[in-house]
Amino acid sequence: MRAYDGPAIQTKGLVKVYRGGTRALDDVSFEVAPGELFGLLGPNGAGKTTAIRILVTLLRATAGTARVVGLDVVTQAVEVRRRLGLAMQNPTLDAFSTGRETLELAGRLQGMPSAAVRRRSDELLELMGLSSVAKKLAGTYSGGMKRRLDVAAALVHCPELLILDEPTEGLDPQSRTALWEELERINASGTTMLLTTHYMEEADRLCSRVAIIDHGRIVVDGAPSELKQGIGADTVVLQIESHGAPDRGVGDDPAEGNGGGVAGDPPVDPLARVRRLLEGMVAPGAVLAHPAGVSLAVPNAYAAVPGLLRRLESDGLRVTGLKVSQPSLDDVFMKYTGRRIREGAADQPLLLGW
Amino acid sequence: MNALTAFVYETYHLGLRTTRRFVRVPANWISIIFFPLIQLLVFSQLYKDIVQLPGFGSESSYLAYLAPGQVAFAGLMAVAWSGYGLLVEFRSGYLDKLRAYPISRWSILAGEMVPLFFQAAAMAAVILVVSMLLGATLVTGVGGFLLILFLTGAFGIAFAGSSFIPALLTKSEQATSTISLLLFPLMFMSTAFVPKALMPGWMQVVNDWNPVTYLIEAMRALMITGYEWGAIGKAVLSLVVLGAILQAVTLWAFRRLAR
Repeated sequence: MRAYDGPAIQTKGLVKVYRGGTRALDDVSFEVAPGELFGLLGPNGAGKTTAIRILVTLLRATAGTARVVGLDVVTQAVEVRRRLGLAMQNPTLDAFSTGRETLELAGRLQGMPSAAVRRRSDELLELMGLSSVAKKLAGTYSGGMKRRLDVAAALVHCPELLILDEPTEGLDPQSRTALWEELERINASGTTMLLTTHYMEEADRLCSRVAIIDHGRIVVDGAPSELKQGIGADTVVLQIESHGAPDRGVGDDPAEGNGGGVAGDPPVDPLARVRRLLEGMVAPGAVLAHPAGVSLAVPNAYAAVPGLLRRLESDGLRVTGLKVSQPSLDDVFMKYTGRRIREGAADQPLLLGW
Repeated sequence: MNALTAFVYETYHLGLRTTRRFVRVPANWISIIFFPLIQLLVFSQLYKDIVQLPGFGSESSYLAYLAPGQVAFAGLMAVAWSGYGLLVEFRSGYLDKLRAYPISRWSILAGEMVPLFFQAAAMAAVILVVSMLLGATLVTGVGGFLLILFLTGAFGIAFAGSSFIPALLTKSEQATSTISLLLFPLMFMSTAFVPKALMPGWMQVVNDWNPVTYLIEAMRALMITGYEWGAIGKAVLSLVVLGAILQAVTLWAFRRLAR
């Protein structure tokens, strides 16, 4: 029943320079296809909220264009507002309205007829598990309940597009998982979704496609699995017993370098030995020293590990521990920005003045 | 729906919310009931003997003279607080959420002003009732009573811009309350406390242009002499003109939020 089957969102060269000179967006272009669950992933201050605010008609871009379901966000702002649902960074609820009053007002402001407003409010209260607190003031709700009510209010008019700014920020792990399931269900029922997040697990778990944004620029976009494959390799860490007991566990992360053998034994360099043994299977440059033993970079670890182990053990090298890790979106972020997303948190611009 | 019906519909539903929010906060009841009472009792006692000065004419009780001025003062008080409430909604992001709805920008502002109407009218009611209990007269009866409440509420809406504009432009609570306080001299340069004849010459000039005076004189007429349509018309006209200007500037300041 979509009236328009082009991209749900299309931005071209968005630039936003705030008064005071902060360049929050610097040539941002991306597209979201209908039905997608698209994530804008980036550290705080990367420009995610600015991009959202332009898309939902709250802010004017300095340059560039943005279209939502084919409509220009500046010249067709009112029509855009009719077509999307919005839940902002903090649940923006009137603390002195009840859950039901909140949903009914949202429906009225979207121009729905009275009967439809009541029916849809009941439906959403039920869907979001809020029926029992429908008559309580929203100010008395828990964080998770507030968030669910906020999302429900955004859905009241069955929008084609749902835009969520940091939907799970500040939620405990349980409420977060519950909300993820809710969002997946809403998306599965046909609502296109754009969300921003600085939680990599969230983008990885939820989004069919993500765009990584940093310093107001999109550095890369694609499906999470695709982006992680782009890193090239999984990591296999092997704990090796040369002579005597290993002195460290695989999971440990000590600051110093290679754990050596026990004093008295002839010095063994496990790194060189592993390199030699695995010749032909793993390039020598992909074998590196690791505090627990050695680490190997291999394209598909789960398939490669049995063969590697057989080769090593055939020469009497005992592998006493093993850890396989696959690249995360954080590795993707690292690859494109040279930083970890956590440390990348830029300071929010300080609002001074009056 | 045409633009006007849409405006009325949206303002009604937004106004329901802001009014609910207002009445569900107990502190707001205190502001409605106790501020006017304190004002009325303090001023009427403090200046009790002022009526013996020439210029008060036939008035024998300062309370009767004072009541309309205090009604206007209460309205101005409510106005001065209103920008603060707007900033609370701005900070929480609620105002942004409303801006993302397909509704008129003016409805959003009007919705925020609705409780101001009721608050100012309710304060006026408290002052009128207490004044009458203490012996003031209201010659126009129930009709005049309701008209005074309406005028006070309308005064609140017309002046709301004086607090909304600094709130929207500075986005600072301190700046807003400071700038709102700048309006209070209008109160003292009106006929709220003393008749024009007792003012120095320059202040009489200010008084002639002071919309607060027009409001007070209309209400004073309704209390003491009757339906003086000339005075009432002047009050209404000054509120409409001033209100239109302030609303237009407020709307301009509100639209600037998208920059």
